[in-house]
Formats: sequence, C-alpha cells, structure tokens
Amino acid sequence: MLNIEGLLVHFPYDYIYPEQYSYMLELKRTLDAKGHGVLEMPSGTGKTISLLSLIVAYQKVFPLEVSKLIYCSRTVPEIEKVVEELRKLMEYYSKQTGESNNFLALALSSRKNLCIHPEVSSLRVGKEVDGKCHTLTASYIRAQRHSDPDLPVCRFYEDFDAVGRQMPLPAGVYNLDDLKDFGKRNGWCPYYLARYSLMHANIVVYSYHYLLDPKIADLVSKELTKKSVVVFDEAHNIDNVCIDSMSVNISRRTLDRCQTNVETLQNTIQKIKETDATKLKMEYRRLVEGLKEANVARETDVYLSNPVLPDEILQEAVPGTIRTAEHFVGFLKRFLEYLKSRLRVHHVVQESTPQFLKDIFDKVCIDRKPLRFCAERLRSLLRTLEIADIADFSAVTLISNFATLVSTYSQGFTIIIEPFEDRTPTIANPVLHFSCMDPSIAIKPVFQRFQSVIITSGTLSPLDIYPRILDFRPVTMASFTMTLARTCLCPLIVGRGNDQVALSSKFETREDFAVIRNYGSLLQEMSAIVPDGIVAFFTSYMYMENIVAAWYEQGILENIQRNKLIFIETPDAAETSMALEKYQEACENGRGAILLSVARGKVSEGIDFVHHFGRAVIMFGVPYVYTQSRILKARLEYLRDQFQIRENDFLTFDAMRHAAQCVGRVIRGKTDYGLMIFADKRYARADKRGKLPRWIQEHISDGSLNLTVDEAVQLSKHFLRQMAQPFRQEDQLGLSLLTLEQLESEEMLKKISQIAHQT
Amino acid sequence: MAALSEEVLLVVKKVRQRKQDGTLYLMAERIAWGPEGKDRFTVSHLYADTRCQKISPDGKAKIQLQLVLHTGESTTFHFSNDSSALKDRDAAKELLQQLLPKFKKKANKELEEKNRMLQEDPVLFQLYKDLVVSQVISADEFWANRLGDTNHADPSLSNNKQEVGISGAFLADIRPQTDGCNGLRYNLTADIIESIFRTYPTVKEKYCENVPHNLTEKEFWTRFFQSHYFHRDRINTGTQDIFSECAKQDEQGLKSMVVQGVKNPLVDLLSLEDKTLDEGYGVCTTLPSTSNSNRSVKESSNSAIIKRFNHHSAMVLAAGSRKGETPANQASETSNTDGNSRDSVFFQPPVKKVKLKEAIEYEDLQRENRPKTVALNLKKSDRYAHGPVPLQSQQYTTSQDIINSVNYIQHEMVNYKPNLTQVLSSTTASSAIAALSSGGVLMQAATQQAINQMVPSEVQGELKHLYAAAGELLRHFWSCFPVNTPFMEEKVTKMKSNLERFQMTKLCPFQEKIQRQYLSTNLTGHLEEMLQTAYSKFHIWQTRRMLRKT
Repeated sequence: MLNIEGLLVHFPYDYIYPEQYSYMLELKRTLDAKGHGVLEMPSGTGKTISLLSLIVAYQKVFPLEVSKLIYCSRTVPEIEKVVEELRKLMEYYSKQTGESNNFLALALSSRKNLCIHPEVSSLRVGKEVDGKCHTLTASYIRAQRHSDPDLPVCRFYEDFDAVGRQMPLPAGVYNLDDLKDFGKRNGWCPYYLARYSLMHANIVVYSYHYLLDPKIADLVSKELTKKSVVVFDEAHNIDNVCIDSMSVNISRRTLDRCQTNVETLQNTIQKIKETDATKLKMEYRRLVEGLKEANVARETDVYLSNPVLPDEILQEAVPGTIRTAEHFVGFLKRFLEYLKSRLRVHHVVQESTPQFLKDIFDKVCIDRKPLRFCAERLRSLLRTLEIADIADFSAVTLISNFATLVSTYSQGFTIIIEPFEDRTPTIANPVLHFSCMDPSIAIKPVFQRFQSVIITSGTLSPLDIYPRILDFRPVTMASFTMTLARTCLCPLIVGRGNDQVALSSKFETREDFAVIRNYGSLLQEMSAIVPDGIVAFFTSYMYMENIVAAWYEQGILENIQRNKLIFIETPDAAETSMALEKYQEACENGRGAILLSVARGKVSEGIDFVHHFGRAVIMFGVPYVYTQSRILKARLEYLRDQFQIRENDFLTFDAMRHAAQCVGRVIRGKTDYGLMIFADKRYARADKRGKLPRWIQEHISDGSLNLTVDEAVQLSKHFLRQMAQPFRQEDQLGLSLLTLEQLESEEMLKKISQIAHQT
Repeated sequence: MAALSEEVLLVVKKVRQRKQDGTLYLMAERIAWGPEGKDRFTVSHLYADTRCQKISPDGKAKIQLQLVLHTGESTTFHFSNDSSALKDRDAAKELLQQLLPKFKKKANKELEEKNRMLQEDPVLFQLYKDLVVSQVISADEFWANRLGDTNHADPSLSNNKQEVGISGAFLADIRPQTDGCNGLRYNLTADIIESIFRTYPTVKEKYCENVPHNLTEKEFWTRFFQSHYFHRDRINTGTQDIFSECAKQDEQGLKSMVVQGVKNPLVDLLSLEDKTLDEGYGVCTTLPSTSNSNRSVKESSNSAIIKRFNHHSAMVLAAGSRKGETPANQASETSNTDGNSRDSVFFQPPVKKVKLKEAIEYEDLQRENRPKTVALNLKKSDRYAHGPVPLQSQQYTTSQDIINSVNYIQHEMVNYKPNLTQVLSSTTASSAIAALSSGGVLMQAATQQAINQMVPSEVQGELKHLYAAAGELLRHFWSCFPVNTPFMEEKVTKMKSNLERFQMTKLCPFQEKIQRQYLSTNLTGHLEEMLQTAYSKFHIWQTRRMLRKT
C-alpha cells in the first residue's frame, strides 16, 4: 500500500523501483488536473503495472471522476500482457482487501482472435473472418432467415442476441482466451459480447485502431464515456498510426476492381427493379426524409462506416443528385472515369485537395457536396441490395471513402499521382496517393473527448515534439531514467574501423567496400566475445540484402558462422517468425545466434530480446526514412509550414526514435544487461545523441564516442566480464529497488524527486 | 605367420617399404607388413594408433600410401606391382577408410580425454611428468586409476554419451585449394561428410541413390561442389543437376516449417497486429516490389542467400537436437492440430500462458522465498582453513537448528551465574595462562618462523612437487588395501617398490640438496614419515600373508 500524494495505491509487489514511484506521482497529477500527459520511462521498469495500479486506485477512490480506463497498446501480445498484469493486480486487491473484486476488465481484439465459430474461425485471416462473419450475422440476412430457415446461421451470435444482453458479463478480468472460454461455455459470441460489454467495463484494453481509425472508432468506441482515462502505450509511433488511418492509395488495379464492382451493382439494381422495386423506393424515401440509417443500424452491419471523423460528418439529407440508385451508380461511374483519366499521366503530379476538387468540377462536373455523401450513400445502397459479402466490394468502398475524405478536408492532406515507381521508371504502375500529413487530425477527437490522455513509451525523446505534431497541450511532460545499482547497459558509438575508415551508412558511402568490410569485422569480432544472442539492425531491407551479399562473397559470414548461427529477417512474416523462433532456440541451447534484422521492421517494433536472447544489439547506420519519397517530402513541408518543425529536425527525430527502439529491445529490466553498439560516426554528433532517450544518453561517456572496432571490443569485453558477476537483490536494495519503509523515509523521497526533476 | 588366429582381410603383394619388397596384410585390428621371404612382420600398427592415411595424388609416378600415427610417426608403403598398383592401393585405401573410423573414435576419445585432463589440471600434469616421464610408474598405471575414477564418478555421462552437434561453419571449413592448374581441390574428411549428411538429409539420399551405381564417390562430391546447391548465390540454370531436386526438397521443407507456424505466440509476427489496415489504406512507403518480374537477378540472388542462411542455420540447429526434439515436436503438433478443432478452444495452449507469465514477471520486485540461512562470517579465514577439525562425524544441522541453538546459548548466557566456589586458584590460573601465551611452554610450536620465509621459493616448489608425487603414489598404494585378489597383491608389491624407487631417486637427492644448502633439517620429515607408515603397513601385510601361507 503506497501513499501517492494522499492516494492509497495497492502495488502488487514487495519492492518498488524509485522511478515507478515518480511515474505514479506524475500520473496522479495529470489525472488530478484532468489534462493530458506525456511520460517516458524505460521499458522493463514496470511501466504498465505502475499505470494500472495508480489508475485503478484512482478509479476506486474517485469513481465519479474517472469511470473508465481505456488502455491502448500496439500488438496482440502486448494487449494480452497488459491484461495479465491487470489480473495480477486484481488478485492482489482481493487478497489485501478480502472482498471480491467488482471491476470488469476486458480485452478486445478483432474477430480473428475472438471468433469461436468453428468454420469462421478456421479462416484465420482477418479480412476473411470478418467477411464470413458478416454473411452469417448481417441484419437482413437474419431477416431473410425468417422466411427461409435453411440459411446458415451462427448460433453463437443468435444465442448472444437472444439472452446475452440481459445478463451483463460478471465482474472479473477477461483476456482474449477467457472471453473465448466464457463464450464457449454460454454459447455466446465472444466478439459481440466483448463489444457490448465495452460500454460498462471499468477497464478496456484494445489496440490503437479502435480509437484512432475513424472507420472503426465510430463503430466500437463511439459511446465510451467522456470521463475516461485513455492511455496510449508504446506511443512512439502514434503519429504514423494516425496518418495511416486517414490515407488512401489508389492503383490501376483498384480502379479495375472498382469497375467490376460498379457493374455488379448496376446489374443487381436492375434485377431488384424487376422483382422488388419497392425496396429501392423505400430507400429513396428514406433518403429524401434525411433519415439516417440510425434506425436500421444494427451492430452487425456496421461494416462500412464513415471514413471521416464524427464532427465532420454532415448532418443533413443526401443530396438529390445521388438519391436514386441508378443516379448514384452513374455518379460513381463518372467519378471512376475521372480517376482513370488522372492515372493516365506520364509525370508526377502533386496537388492540394481544393485543386483536385476544382479540377474534378471542371472536367466532369462533380460537385463537392455529393462527393462528401459518397461513402454514406454507398453504405445505404449496399444494405438495400442486401449484399452479403462486402469484402468483394472493398474497391468501390475504398473509392467512395476517398471521395468523402477528399471533399471533407481541405487542409492537412495532399494528392500525389506517380506514374511509376522510382526504382523502376520503365514499368508503368500509376498510383494515386491521397496522403494525410497531419497526425493531429485523427487524434484530435480523442484529445477533445476524453478528460485525460496519457501518451507513454520507453522511447519518446525528445518529449516536446509529440505535443507539437499531435497538436495538444499536456499538463505534464516527464522523462524518467532507470536507476541502476550496476550499469547494465553499455552504449558504444563505433565511428571508425580498425583501418580508421569512417563508418557510416550515409548515402555516399553506402556501396563503399571498406565500410561494408569494417561493419563485417565488427559483427565478427562481437560474435566471438558476446555470449548467446546478438541482434543487428540495418537501416533498410535493401541495405541489409546488399551487405549480406557482400559479406557472403568476402567470406565474413562463414567466419561468423564459426561462432554463432545466423538468422536473417525476410519480408515474409511467416518465414521471419520461424527464423525468430529458431534464433531463440539457438540462444536457449547455448549455441548462440545472430539475428540480422531491419529497423522499422516488424521485429524491431514488436519483439523483445530479454536476457540471453539479446546480449548485444548492433545498429548499423542511422535509420533515416527513405527521404526521396514525395509523400515524405510533402509531409516535411507541411510540418515546416504548420508546426515550424525544421525538416532536418524531424528526420533526425524520426531516425533516432527508431534507433532507440531497436537498441532498447535488449534491455528489459534491471536484472538484464546488454551492449548497445551504434555503428555510425554520425551518432557521436550532439544533435543525434541528444535525441536519444535520457536513460540511454546518460550512459554514453565522452570516452565511447568515436571508437574503433578494436576499442569497442575491448570495452565490451570489460563490460561483459563485469556483468557476468552474480547480481543479487541485496545489491539493488536502497539504490534501484526500495522497500516500503525505505520509500517512506524523508531522505529517500527527496532523493527520488531530485532524480525525477533532473530533466 | 605370426598371427594365424587373426582374420586377414586383405593381402597385397609387391608392396615396398623402405626400399624393401614385401607383402601388406590388413587384419581386423591392425595393419602389418612383412618383407618378402620372411614369415614375420617388421611393421605392424594397430588401427587404433593410426591417425589417418594419406595417398599420393593421381598421376604421380610412385603410387604410395602413408599411414600417420598418433605419435606423429609415419610409415609409407609403395605399391610397386606394375600392372595393378593403382588398383591395389585403392583397395587398401577403401578398406582402411572403412576400418579406421571405427577405431579412431575409441582411440581418439581416450586420448582426447587424457589430453584434456592434463591440460586442465596443471598439478596432474606435473605429477605426470614426475612419475611417468621420469619412469617411476608406467603411463598405463598412471591412467588406469585416473580414468577409472572419472568414469565411475559420472557413469551416466559415459554410458549415454552426449550427441555432438554440428559446427555452424562446417561448410566454411572445406577450404578450396587451388591445385596450380586452374582447378580447385576440396579436402573432405569423414567428419565433414557426416556433417553434410546430418544437416542436409536430402544430400544423403542422393548419395545413397547414386553413389556406387551411377557415380563414384569422387564424382558425387565433385558434382556437389559444382552444383548450384552448394553455391546458393548462383541462380538455378541447369535442371540436369542431380541436386536441383535437393534444393526443391529443401524449399519444401522450409515451406512446411513455415506453414507449421511457431509455437511461441510472442514471436509470431503474423498474429502480432490486431487489425491490419485494409488494402489501399495507409501511407504506402516504397516497399520492395514483390512481383518477381521486375526484380533484378542480383536481388533475387541476394534473397536466395538470405533464405539459404536461414535454412542452413535451422538445419544445423535441428541436426544438433534432432533426437531430443522429436517427442516435444510431436506433442506440440498434436496440441497445434487440436488447437483448430472445436473442442480445444477450452484447452488453451499452455505455451502461451507460460510465455505470457514469463513476460510480465519482475523477479527483482518480489521477495525471494528461500528458507532463511545464516551467512558464514569468517573473521580469520586462516583459522578456518587450518583449525582443528573434530573427527567425530556429525549430522548436518539445518540453518534453523543453528539459529535455534544460538538463541538457546544466548538465553543460557543471560542466565549464567558464575559458581565462584569452584574456580581455579589464582596461581594455577596464572601459570596456565603463562604456559598458553606466546613464549610459554605449551606454545613452543607456535613460535617457529613461518616456513616460507626460511626456505627459498625454488625449494618450496620442488617440495610441493614431491608432496604431490608422493601423495599420488601413496594413493595408489593405499588404494590396494584390503588386498583380496592376486592382482592386488601384485600391485601392492609393485607399488611398494615404486615407493622405494621414489625415495631413492627423488627424495634422497632432495634431502642431500637441502643439507648442502644448510637449510633447516626437517623439511622432508613428514614425507618420510608417510613413506614409513606405508612401508610398515606393507610389512604387516606381508608377515600376515606369510603366516597365512604357512
């Protein structure tokens, strides 16, 4: 039981790290102020449990102030981990207080992770599961079943629909598997049960998309209470998630598929007209009356929702020009033809959304207003036509979403039409990129709606850039370092080879033989001295391929194989998963292995290399984003004009956050240890180094700024020898690990606040 | 013939050795050569002693076969039969090739073991030098005891020996050498071949299919090294290559491994993302285009290399743990398969739970739950090392017991009341104290100067070696008791003479040396005492035996 400025917090461990205490302190102040916060704390210092303990305690004491915790994380394993930590906390609560817990906490994931229908769940691919589910549960399908009972049915959904709603999910902690268990036992669909229970749960754990992607947020998270605390964990990439959720790419293939979609629509309309013309008339009348589909909206139909943010949706009736089904199809055709003509360019075109709208009006006389209703009108039509498998209509949905987006937002977006890929200028492959450049657009409703939003991660440095690019005003911003009883991380910047060749991945020396060779010898020497696992990251997949090929030709890889097995990330996720598992197996059985991987890749974002799975990480080069991309250029320009962030600052920030992500993968706690080798001389510069998280930066001494390979090997040997000594709990106590008594002492509190306020 | 009882596997006539004509015999356990016209062998080597055989390259005038022994010596046989020299040599080579590995393992293992022990233990090495090299006892005697010990100490280890894995770089060890005329030569050893077979079972299949019937062994390996299969960076061009099928099978294997998926859900990149963006949404970063048509040859060769390394590492790993792995694999497979069936949704794969639990564990935040222990606190460690040791065997007490007894003693101490009527008189007490303080009668021994200051370090070292050697011999000697077999009798007598020899050749010169240097006399006293004890034991035993005999 901790006392955080008057709030009694149950903390389910015997000891606590000082930084956890500081973190909870800041968090509480944020909640008290009902504002937003940006908090950085190294991974492995128990960020999640600190967050959960404090917010749960806050909820228990002030149930009217904070009624819900919405915890967003990035990956499914992360979500499950959070729920498990929560379970631990809740068990501790009931043990301490002796009363059974009345909290409802649950995880929500997509259908593919929750479905228990034997046929549907066996599809395994997200989109297919969703589509199949829809064909079984859509409201008109269920209506048809009344007349034709032979139609296939999902009994889990039917049972849930019949009785599931009356009986709320009993209090407890439900992970994805628990939900499935519960669903199995009661014969209810776990997915819809979870979605339904979202409304009255005290704690919800799900992924970013449910809040940030307007297409999904509108369905799932619409009715969550304002008095919620929203936490975005692992938020270092949150701006990219925001941008992704609002951007659209249209290729020639999309248009071709769209063409067939439109034709199908036309035929279906024709057929229905002959058999059941009243249906279309009904729809028309509904649209005239401006009755939104609200009256018929069933949760299962919510498949297509508006791609724009809720406050941008027009609250009026669909304009007359697209009200009848034929007119709308004609409208779509015209729009499609226009897009086709735009893709027939031979040079790159970049324009703003107003320019695009003007052009479309000039060329094919399409007004802005019907465009804005395009998505909604299509949704109504698809429902009227009772089309079961909407997955087939993804192309036309995409186009109409694009139409709505492009006519809604005049700022923060750009349209780029590229006739070919940069690398293959001879092959025509025109793509229209409708790209969002302002991450604050997607996240704005979240900041406006919920009283507290916490953005947190192990690597958020430099902190001040996030409020700027996401356009919000935090009440607290803090970066906590990792208090250490022994320096368990050893960042080294290797700037030169043994032959004094400057090491760098910069464009001019990319193909330089000497650099590649020196990189190879760095890896080779490290493979000889580091026990168990080494992870190496390259700046891009292409770069890695080239280096691996060069190393192969020079026989460097063979020499490395004498020390460790080599596994390499590939673009194929399944293959990489296998390599990853084998890598862990090799680390486990003592043979030792090296994993060559890519910054910004899946491995660098989602996989931890705890303890012996990663004793050293080598970052070959600075992982700058591919700067020649026009989309990026447009975004940089926008950042400069709107937020006064200089291009170079943003690029360096972006590169360094990914570098920090990569190297941070090896340290997952105070008992862990690992080498962090930055193999590029540019890391030594203050502008790069200064953007690393504080907990890494403060261990870079001046003596380790521009090392040669040999020097780095010497320092590493020394470090590893030290780390190999036994490290016991007593060594940490009082320094980086506190008992309750120690925490309560005046002196220690002073010390903690001193550490915390060094920022 | 000297060894008629031995099975003779091959006889080759007209083989010259040291310019003498003769006949070469290959027997079950040894190879032998006898000069023409004589019925005894002048050369005879056990296969177990042979390290390897070497043959003269094709095309040389002299057709020779050389045997290299473990000792480093070598013997060369020259096949001089004009018509069939090559055939003879090859026949001998083939046979040796089959025979040698069988013995090699055994011999090697022992030899390696001995080598390792000597290298790891400098004391043992010194002992070896003192006793064996100076021929106090024979090497066999020395080892008989040692190896026996180790084997007994860990019978489980020696019985089911551990499967040896494969070096990750075995292919790198095949260094091609240029043979001077635009060709490459690869040297293959049996180990490398085995590694290749274990790592790439498909190659083994090919070998079994083809080797004696379609191709010779040499041709097979030549093709192997020329094949696309070996040089993976080459793009497959010819389909007539016998290994192209291997490559395909490997690819199949890789694919099936990939399809099987991973057991640990935390590393499954496929299920990492909760909701992927639908096609067409999101900022499309310039990804490497996946269509094969516009990939350059170089790029696809690069990705082939990457694939190859992943595959190779996986195979090496699998080869190392193939035996232990299978049951685990099966178990996981079954759980995998019924992971899809409808009933098993209740049954959560336990791997996932365990991994999740591991991932959220903070070991240092939790109090350790071990039984309370008392730390050993040595104020003077030398007293601990040299202090008196009670001889009675004690039952071990738990820490808790100790704590209890300490508490008890403390309790007793608090309640202690001196019984003043029964104390010593002050005079006796002071004389006792005087006797026990330094310089007193009872403390004479303590005054002796530290021996390490009096004796030069070189003599000390020598003494140490003598002690070690004597100790070793005495150990042998005493281990013979009780003497209950004739073998033991023989050994004990021999050991006694060994001891005597040791005293004569080692101890006495040392004593003389000390005397010459006028060092304190009794450095060797204890050694002699030990030897005397052994002698007297021997005499007692001998007299008893005599008595029994009479």
